[in-house]
Amino acid sequence: MSKPVKRIIEYSFLTLLASIFIFPMIWMIASSMKPEGDIYVDMGTIQSFFPSINPSEWFQTYQALFERFDVLKYVFNSVMYAVIVTAGSIVVNAMAGYAFAKFNFTGKKFLFGLLLSLLIVPMETLIITQFTVAHELGILNTRMAVVLPMLANMLFIYLFRNFFKAVPDEIIESVQLDGANYWTIFWKIILPMSKPAIATVGTLSFIASWNDYLWPLMVLTDTEKFPLQVAITNINSTPPVYTNQVMAILTLSTIPLIIVYIVAQKYLLQGLGGSGTGIK
Amino acid sequence: MKKLNSSMNLPAYLFLSPALVLMGLFLIIPALMAIYYAFTDYYLLTPDNKQFVGLDNFIEIFKDPIFLQSLKNIVLFVVCVIPIQIGAALGLALLINKNRRGNIFFKIAYFAPVVLSLVVISVLWLYLLNPSEGLINVLLEKVGIEAQPFLSSPKQALYTIVFVSAWQGAGYQMLIFLAGLQNIPSSVYEASKIDGANKWQNFIHITLPLLRPTTLLIMITTFIAAFKLIIQPMVMTQGGPMNSTMTPVYYIYQSGFSDRLIGYSSAMTVVFGIVIGLVTIVQNKLSKGDDGS
Amino acid sequence: MKKLILLVFGLCMAVVVAACSGEEASSGNKNEVSMWVHTSNETAEGKEMQSLIDQFNEENEEGYTAKIEFIPRSGSGGGYEDKINAALTTDTLPDVLTLDGPNTAAYAEAGMIAPIGDYISNKDDLLPSIIQQGTYNDELYAVGYSESGVGIFYNKQMLEDAGVDLATLPTVEEPWDWNEFMDLNETLVKEYDQPAIDMGLKDQSEWLMYAFTPFLWSQGGSIVSEDGTKATGFFNDENSVKTMSFIQEMVEKGYTTKTPVEKGFQTGKYPMMMTGSWTIAEMKSSYPDVNYGVMPYPTSPDTNELVSPSGSWQYAMSATTDKEEAAAALIDFLTQTEALTKISLANSVLPAATSVIEEIRGEVSPQMQVLIDQNAKSAHARPVLPGYPKVSRTFQETISDVTYFEENQDIQKLLNTKSSQIDKALQ
Repeated sequence: MSKPVKRIIEYSFLTLLASIFIFPMIWMIASSMKPEGDIYVDMGTIQSFFPSINPSEWFQTYQALFERFDVLKYVFNSVMYAVIVTAGSIVVNAMAGYAFAKFNFTGKKFLFGLLLSLLIVPMETLIITQFTVAHELGILNTRMAVVLPMLANMLFIYLFRNFFKAVPDEIIESVQLDGANYWTIFWKIILPMSKPAIATVGTLSFIASWNDYLWPLMVLTDTEKFPLQVAITNINSTPPVYTNQVMAILTLSTIPLIIVYIVAQKYLLQGLGGSGTGIK
Repeated sequence: MKKLNSSMNLPAYLFLSPALVLMGLFLIIPALMAIYYAFTDYYLLTPDNKQFVGLDNFIEIFKDPIFLQSLKNIVLFVVCVIPIQIGAALGLALLINKNRRGNIFFKIAYFAPVVLSLVVISVLWLYLLNPSEGLINVLLEKVGIEAQPFLSSPKQALYTIVFVSAWQGAGYQMLIFLAGLQNIPSSVYEASKIDGANKWQNFIHITLPLLRPTTLLIMITTFIAAFKLIIQPMVMTQGGPMNSTMTPVYYIYQSGFSDRLIGYSSAMTVVFGIVIGLVTIVQNKLSKGDDGS
Repeated sequence: MKKLILLVFGLCMAVVVAACSGEEASSGNKNEVSMWVHTSNETAEGKEMQSLIDQFNEENEEGYTAKIEFIPRSGSGGGYEDKINAALTTDTLPDVLTLDGPNTAAYAEAGMIAPIGDYISNKDDLLPSIIQQGTYNDELYAVGYSESGVGIFYNKQMLEDAGVDLATLPTVEEPWDWNEFMDLNETLVKEYDQPAIDMGLKDQSEWLMYAFTPFLWSQGGSIVSEDGTKATGFFNDENSVKTMSFIQEMVEKGYTTKTPVEKGFQTGKYPMMMTGSWTIAEMKSSYPDVNYGVMPYPTSPDTNELVSPSGSWQYAMSATTDKEEAAAALIDFLTQTEALTKISLANSVLPAATSVIEEIRGEVSPQMQVLIDQNAKSAHARPVLPGYPKVSRTFQETISDVTYFEENQDIQKLLNTKSSQIDKALQ
């Protein structure tokens, strides 16, 4: 087989596969750019994946949406929560992962097993008791209450641990000889070498925080602090529900996630195998 | 560095402390409280009036046909979804772990369902899977297969949810696999290239073994996450038809928050936790997993 | 190492600082009432509520004021109710709150809300269904501020094309019974070769309880005994079997479907849809070209008694409030004709009081008027039971199971099982 033919087959396959995964997103964006009624009239035809034929209608939904809701305020809140959660989650979980990967300490196996077993707990069912804890801490109706419970996550600790374990001990020992302390090693050596892990945990934390609805609603009473998900739920459950507006706000809420993912995946390719770390 | 040295306890626990404190507050304490509630008749609306009832809740659970059915459902779900989802995730990760023109588009596409709202997903899939109008049945009929009821059939609903969940979730594990693939030094591949190994040999002899820690991580976490299935049946079938897609966590959620029986629902959480715990241990032993050290 | 200790220490400090700056001090003002509502301040309903509160703050003669907090719910009440439940465990409920009709009994029985009958001056004006849903153990605990209703929406063009004379369709005064209704379905199915009506059977949700219980009541049946202690002997009696057979027949004969396509009625696919007042606003804004009418609920041929769904969100006073007079004054203000009229018009919902019906007559569409008239004549509240959620869910499952006619030919047997399940929930 000649190279171009092989290429065409490869790309056709990738594209076919991609369309299986991406069609709802296309539909969402297209639906946000047409009048409500057209969405269901178009259902089942190829037109459902294209915006309105009339370009002047493309942004009418968005206009109506911005008139009904203070979208920007919610976006701002959500971005703030997500950024803090992402940064905090990377630091907190990487620290724990580092301890599990590179230290020998009393109770290590037990602790790792215990934390792993906590993954079993269905969080959905603990929300009332979590609220009680937040109440006892006195952090209700602060932005802190939204962020704190989202930080520590065993899946991410595990992921960091695996990653750090792959860092050869010799590197650590050599810098240790130079007099670097544990923190410096962690902060200056280990973390910069783990960009793929950071990118992964960062992306997943960002998404988790971004999509959280119930917890912020429970701990906040001040409308000014609500994240975007609260608005989405509200738009989606206050009759009459306008599907095109729902799709518009969902489109807006998906864009930041895509951006984060695009940025993160650039770092994903800078792992141990890539350049920049000096280990080959 | 490798020596067991008690002087390492302090720095180790200092590094662990932020995670431990946060998990202790928002996970361990609530979980312990749930265990305590399991032995009471806690009714959500009268929190100050909890009576200790011993094992009553637990006895009830094993007489509850819906809970037992939900356990059966979830086992079937997990058995079906794990190979499909993890296989798909690994396949996708391998496909896009390459430099090619336009790769970014494929990367976004395969990850798209993960970031997409469940509202969109459920509206679209419900439409595609509609027994009389849905696109999938139209296609099936074109190739001569009879139209299927899918979500509206007690026999097929669960398998349909398996498919939709795998489709939606695979991108998540794909991302973790990608990170794992990056963790394999390229020098290893270069060496084997010199030895004249082909791609398939590379995959079997290098990629898979070196990817083992990642695979194990994904196995355990996906496995547990699959056991905790709630959202897809909640938005697509509400546990029906005839409880065929009722899952334990969904039922626990319903009992606790709709029926307000926190005591009973906590007891189910405990039983369910023990069940997954046991299965995870067995699974771990079977895969002779790495030992956490 | 130092840095590490510093970081950990810093994190701890952050928590402490957050803790100290947290929770706004609850207003010490004896005359200011706190109020939680389940909607957002960006909806028409929320905006109107805010303006009513502003009006209250200006006009109240005793000097009472109120502060409203908006907690947007999801779906049928999730989110908001979770928040109420959580506040309960920490004893931080507001003085006044809104609650959905079916929660009245549970909240009253748990001692969360206090009886307010003595404070409501407009009581005689309220629709019977409003009183019914707010009353538990003969005391009025909550007052609905609007009503809801369901009718059979039909596409005029499609019915005419099928040869139906629109002048013969039923009215609130002369409703059709199930048989006449099924004849119409038969005609439409023959003409269009697909289901005639979307009855919303797709969702296993509160809708099934809300919209399908009127059939049972029209037949003279009920889910539970009058004292609310058992279902066996009621939910499995002859009336229940007849009602469920009717619903099953609708599916079995292909008149309706358990898997309708989304918005089938709005897009001119199905000629009819069983739906509520909210669809009127949707039709107006998104499907203005569809010419449709609304007919009342079909009735049981045995009784020919019109019964229609009803239910709404209500105001209630927290039992733990120490500002009883002020809270009661607020609820009384909010349930006067003027306030109720404003809410009805702003939110395009059905009125909750007779005087409001008169106020808005002529200001609403003819379709809305049918629902208003039906409501005034035949609205029936859902049962007021502390164990309501489980009872409702079992009823929903029953309806859903009945639509699986192949698996559930023996309706009597199905109802026996479901009745004993409900019995357990009532204990």
